Order: sequence, then C-alpha cells, then structure tokens
Amino acid sequence: MKNIVIGQYIPGKGLFYRMDPRTKIISVITLMIAIFLLGSIPQLLVAFSVCAVMMWVGNIPVKRVIRGMKPLIILLLFTFFFQIFFNKEGKLLLDEVMHVTVVSVLGIVLWTILWRLLARIGKFKTVLLLAYIMGIFVLFRFLPFGYSFTTFRFAIYEKGIEMSIFVIIRLVIIISLSTVLTLTTKPTDLTQGLESLMRPLKIIGIRSEDFALIISISLRYIPTILDEAFKIMAAQASRGADFAEGKLKDKVKQVISLLVPMFIIAFKRSEDLADAIESRNFVPGKPRTRIHELRFGWTDIGVGIFTLAALALTIVLKVIG
Amino acid sequence: MAIHFQHVSYQYPSGSYQFYQAINDISLSIPSQGEMIAIVGQTGSGKSTLAQHMNALLFPSSGCVDIFGSTIRQKRDKKISYNHLRKHVGLVFQFPEYQLFEETVQKDIMFGPMNFKISAADAAVLAQKAIVQVGLDETYLKRNPFNLSGGEKKRVSIAGILALDPDILVLDEPTSGLDPKGKSQMMELFTAIQKQTDKTIIIITHDMDLVYRYMDRVIVMHEGRLIRDESPDRLFHRKNLAELHLDYPETISVLAAIKAQFSLDIDIYQKDMDAALVELRRAVGK
Amino acid sequence: MSYIEVKDLSFSYTGKRMILKDISLSIEKGEWVAILGHNGSGKSTLAKAMVGLLEPNQGTIAYDGVVLTNDTAYDIRKKVGIVFQNPDNQFVGVTVRDDIAFGMENLMVPQKQMLEMIDFYSEKVGMKDFLDKEPSTLSGGQKQRVAIAGILAMQTQVIIFDEATSMLDPYARRDLIEYIQKLNQEGITVIMITHDINEAMYANRLVILKDGTIFSDGDKWSLFKQPEIFENSHLELPFSLKLAAALDDSLPEEKAVKDFLWQSISNT
Repeated sequence: MKNIVIGQYIPGKGLFYRMDPRTKIISVITLMIAIFLLGSIPQLLVAFSVCAVMMWVGNIPVKRVIRGMKPLIILLLFTFFFQIFFNKEGKLLLDEVMHVTVVSVLGIVLWTILWRLLARIGKFKTVLLLAYIMGIFVLFRFLPFGYSFTTFRFAIYEKGIEMSIFVIIRLVIIISLSTVLTLTTKPTDLTQGLESLMRPLKIIGIRSEDFALIISISLRYIPTILDEAFKIMAAQASRGADFAEGKLKDKVKQVISLLVPMFIIAFKRSEDLADAIESRNFVPGKPRTRIHELRFGWTDIGVGIFTLAALALTIVLKVIG
Repeated sequence: MAIHFQHVSYQYPSGSYQFYQAINDISLSIPSQGEMIAIVGQTGSGKSTLAQHMNALLFPSSGCVDIFGSTIRQKRDKKISYNHLRKHVGLVFQFPEYQLFEETVQKDIMFGPMNFKISAADAAVLAQKAIVQVGLDETYLKRNPFNLSGGEKKRVSIAGILALDPDILVLDEPTSGLDPKGKSQMMELFTAIQKQTDKTIIIITHDMDLVYRYMDRVIVMHEGRLIRDESPDRLFHRKNLAELHLDYPETISVLAAIKAQFSLDIDIYQKDMDAALVELRRAVGK
Repeated sequence: MSYIEVKDLSFSYTGKRMILKDISLSIEKGEWVAILGHNGSGKSTLAKAMVGLLEPNQGTIAYDGVVLTNDTAYDIRKKVGIVFQNPDNQFVGVTVRDDIAFGMENLMVPQKQMLEMIDFYSEKVGMKDFLDKEPSTLSGGQKQRVAIAGILAMQTQVIIFDEATSMLDPYARRDLIEYIQKLNQEGITVIMITHDINEAMYANRLVILKDGTIFSDGDKWSLFKQPEIFENSHLELPFSLKLAAALDDSLPEEKAVKDFLWQSISNT
C-alpha cells in the first residue's frame, strides 16, 4: 500500500469537492484578480471574512490551510519587513537608535545559539522564529554597551505598518484560495480541467489534449520513479556510494550514478510506452471520448455567479474610490 | 559469526512510502566461512528486506544486527562507518539497470573499489580480474554497458561487487533472466569462489532446482517471518511445501509423478539428471 | 486462407543485419501458438511487426484477408492486441479503471458503454475490486491482468503475449498462464512469445525461431520426438523430457515411463 499524496489533495466531502475543476480554476483566478483590485485594509478584511465563511461552508479544515502557509512564512516575513523599512510615509510611530556594539553582537550570537538549541525540539518552529527576530531587535536596542561599531536608526512609520498589514492579508487570502483549490481537486481532475480550458489554444496550433496526456502519464509514474530512485541509491550504496557521506567531488559522482540509470530507465520506458499506446489505437490529434466527463452542476453555477458578483463589486469599488 | 540477527523486526517508517516489506522477529546467524545459503519465499515475504539488513542498507526497527563486530540498531551510531561494512558484505541487486551507469564496463566495475579509496590503477586490475571471473573476456572492458545483452549486464553487475572482494556475498536472483547454460555457469562460478576462498555466499532465489543442487542451507521466509532454517534435503523431504508457497525441485516432482503412476519403489530425492536416470533405471529394472 | 497470414516477412533496423528473414506463418482462429527462440532470434521483432509497430522491409501480414499497412493498422489493431514484457511500462492510466478505458477512449466508445465494459472485463480478469487502485499498489501479475482486460474491452480476438511472464515470479507466471489458458478455451487466439519451454508447453503448436528464420513449426508431439531440434535451436528441454529422451525405447518398462512423461507435458 503506497500512500502518496501528490500536491495537497486530500479526499473529502463538501461544496468544493463537488465542483467542476474548470469552475474552481476560473473562480480562483477571478477572485485573485478581485482581491488585487481592493485598495484598503477594511475592504481586505471583509474579503478575508468572506473567504473564511466560504471555507466554513465548504468544510475545509482550517488547520490544513494554515499548514499550507507554513512554507511561505519567510515570504510573509520578508514582505512585512520590506514595508516596515522602506515605507516612510505618514506619522512617525517609533524612532529608535540601534546599537551595533561588542555586547549587542555577543548578545545576538548567544541568542542565536539559544534559538537553534530550542529549535531542535522540533515543535513551535514558526513561533520560535518570530520570537528570534523580535529578540534581535530588542537586543540591538537595549545593549548599547562596550565598543560601538556603528549605530543605525530604526524608524517605523504609520504607513509602513499599514502597508505591511495590507500586503500580508492580501497574501494570506491568495494563498488560502490556491490551497483550497489544490486541497479539493485531484491532480488528474485539475489536469483535465486545464485541458478543457486550454482547448481554444488549438487556434495557435497547441493541442491541449496532448499536454494533458503527458501530464497525466507523468503523474502516474511519480511513485514508480520514486521507487526506482530508492532502489538505485541502494544498489549504488552497496558499492560504497553512500549518499549521506562524501566530499563534494564524490557527491558529483554519486549523483551521476543515480541520474544515469534513472534516465536510461526513463528512455526505455518511453519507448515501451509509445509502443503500448500505439498498439492500443492511440492516434495523436484524433478525438477521444473520456471515461471521466466533466459536468457542470448547480454548485458550479452558484459559485460562478458569486465570483462574478465579487469581481463586479470590486471593480465598482475601485472605480468609485 | 559474521552476521548475527537478534530478534530483528523492520517496519517501514509510518507515513512514508512502503518500499520494503516488513520482517518480524528474525534471529539468524551467518558464518563468515564456507556456507552456500539460499533464501527462499514468495514475493513479498521479506527476502529483500532481510538481505538489505545484512549490509546495513536498512536499520532494524527493533532488535539488532551484528555485522563483523559492528552492532546495527535503529539509531544511527556515529562511531560506526556503515559504508565500510558494505565492503565486507557485498550485495548484488536483481536488476543491473539500477546499477550500471558508466561509459565503459571497466569504469563501472572500478566504481565500487574506488569508493573505498582504492587507486584507479589498482581498481583497473581488480576490474580485469572480476570480468574474467564472471565468464566474460577482457574485450568487454572497453564496451558500453548499455549495449550488452541482459545476461551480460547481469554478469557485469556481479563483477562490480566481486571487485570489492567482500567477505560475504549476497545476491538477489543472480540467475534470473539467464538461459540454462548461463544459469549453471553462474552457479559454477559461485561454487568455485566458495571452494577457493571459503567465503559464505547467500543467494535469494525462486529456483528450487538450484537450491537442491548447489546450496548447503535454506532459509525460508513467509510473510515476514523466518519459518525454516535447514538443509535443502530436510526441506524437500517435507510434505507441506505448498502451504509455504514453495515448489519442489523438478527432479523430485517428476520422479514422484512417475512413482505414483507406476507404483515403483523409487528414491525420489535425486539432485540431477544423471542421478535421477540411474535411480529410475534401477527401480524400473526390478 | 488462414485468419492470420504472414508471408515472406523480412525486417532489418539498420539495413545491414536482417533481424527477420523470409518468415511465413499461418495461424487459425482459436489456435494457441508458442513462438520460441533464443535471445536475438527475432521473436519480439516479429511480435511488434504483427501489430504494425514496425514496418517490414519485405513481405506482408494479413488479418482476415486484409493486409496490414499504415492505413489499415488502425482497424486491424481492433482485432489484435499485444501484452508486453514490462508490466509497468504499458500501464498508462492513473488508476486501473483509467487504464482499461484507455483503448476504448481511443476507439471513441461512448462513456456509458465504457463503464459497462470496464465492469464486465475487470470482473473477468479478477480485478474488479481494484478499479480505483493506482498501479504502484499492484503486483506485476495484477498489472498484466489489467493489460489483458484493456485489450479484451476492445473486443479483440487475438492477443499476442510478448514475453509477458518473464518479469513475474514463478507463481505469478503460472497464474497468468492458467488464465491465458482459460481465454484460449473461450476462443481467443493466443500467440505467445517466450524463451521458456515450460510455458510453451501449454500450446499445442510450437514455432521455433533461430537467427531470424523459422527453424521448425509443428505440433509439440512431433517436435519432442526429435530432441536434436531443441538442441540446435539453443533451447533446452524441460527436465521431464530430457529424462524421457535418455530412456531406452526398446525396453518396454522404460518406454512406458517415456510415454507417460510425454503425456504429462500436455498440462491440460
């Protein structure tokens, strides 16, 4: 039993699971456009609550969505600090002198060590990271002792805070929307949805069915290829190529000893697959029926109307304000 | 004892991919000298998992494996060089495609020894010896491994491990995919190595004829457990092999069929054609 | 005229070395023909040529009177299917259901009908409980069964097995062959490419290829009486027949055992 979750799809029930993937894709894109048209924090907060309600209605576990944001915490932090540092408009809220001295630098070093030690525990990594960053500021501010290398001014303006909150809420909403999409849509359905939406590209000579087939075959082989990679690594490890150890020079050889067999196997596989597919009457470009047919339902119509209304509303708001 | 399993169990880490079958409470001793051991059992019984514990590719979930003095437990021990153990216990996998990667056969065979800090010059000599050992001549050294036939690739992959001169040799289905002549050539090779160097050779196989003719000891795996560890003679004298999803060697089953059909007094436990013929003639002549 | 007519077929990849030389073969509906040969004898090439994956340099292959060409290949492929050696490299679908559907999708079978066929044929090969399973969870033997279901679902009457059991373990191999036996009894024409004599024993007719030509073609009984044929073809007799060949015909007791051994080879 191999349980490989590709992407973030987790089987479940609810509003979003019932929808046609095409509606979901278009809705997500439309809503993202709508979000970008909003101009103020209150507007964003309304959008945020609407999203939250949507997720509640659709039975989406909030924990999963939050988990989906964890990898992007760095991005969020970067955005936050970017706005704080570079936005110098509005009222001055905070004006501190930061001292880079022997003592404060030493303090930073010790604080960093403490952070890494605590991080080993494994839990609360995000919280620890935030605490670590706050601690850096505190230490620079409150330890003006010893030889001073330099000082710098750390100023926070009202607009800076406002913009950073604004951008972060916007990012959070967008990430949540795409998480809901990948959470509730099987990769194969997503592929089929994209294929259907991209059919008009036939005009410029691109056949979306071919791409869809390529993608679905690739998805099918991910577990197989992973399995083979492990087997190859085991076979090479038996010859002394321990992937965990070794200098850089050795590493290059080790990687080659893994990649070459993988490529050779992949080429053989494509030859065999081509034969198999052709022998089963596949003709590129010829129309095919489908075992899974995408069908719109009332849910799709409802969500579609909602999305269009949201977009219209945001356009109006933009034009007015 | 060179390799000693003590109550070893292995389960794949939960939540990850199941590439290995579980094994359960295996206790087993492999001497460093002189045995030809077969590991048999149906697909999924844990044979490969067991083999990969022998050269520390896998660590037991519980219990421990002693390999030439190093004790392998679930937790990684910084003092043990696991990589080094693989020079002492050489494991050849079933499919050469997972192993061959160099431009020439010689370079590929040299890969193993050079990973263990043997100089290129010395490794080249080892490659020369190894290629001849597996029954291919030296002209193969300059050839591209990907242009070889299935049987030739198999031999090159075995040569790659022989070049390490391991103390114990473990091979996963070394004769599968070979024609009958190739099969016996391969088995003669292993028997020769075993006789000349007195090393222990462990072979995972489905071929019961091979087991009966060439092996001293059979380990039977079934659903992750070790259920028999005895001589081939003892194993094949048992009546219930079908329950263990095992076949009898051809000599035994054919002679048994003749015995049943003609009600002859035949000793069905013959290991090869000549012996079977002699015994058959004797029984028929009465 | 036979259902399948191969006439003077010659093929070469490079133009220098002929892989197949003047192969002529006639196969009737419902037959089970084993095509035996050593590695490099051309048997896989013959199999691929017979489904139009390779274009012959010379000669023709005809199904029910229709010669196989680029234009007729599409229709002929509705009549003949091929199961390849590597169970993984012919499994196209993300699930069992999708894979069985693949061929039918190519034939523009309407969805409702596809679902019925999948139900029926998955049951027939014993894989009905696995319809939603991914191929990475299946054994080699199971994947081969799915391949068979996919071919049967296209209403194919001839199935070529190109070393379809060689990557399976002995039990899965026996399982699959016994299933193929059932199919043949139901009327499916079976062409089995193999290098394993024990497998070939299930057929009644053995065609032995050697170096690209037909070395021998006939029913297995007459072949066994001529062990030299096997020797010269680089194949080896199964144990029971080697034993039989060593026995003395002139001694009645030994002859009785000899006949018994030949009988037991029929396997049905």
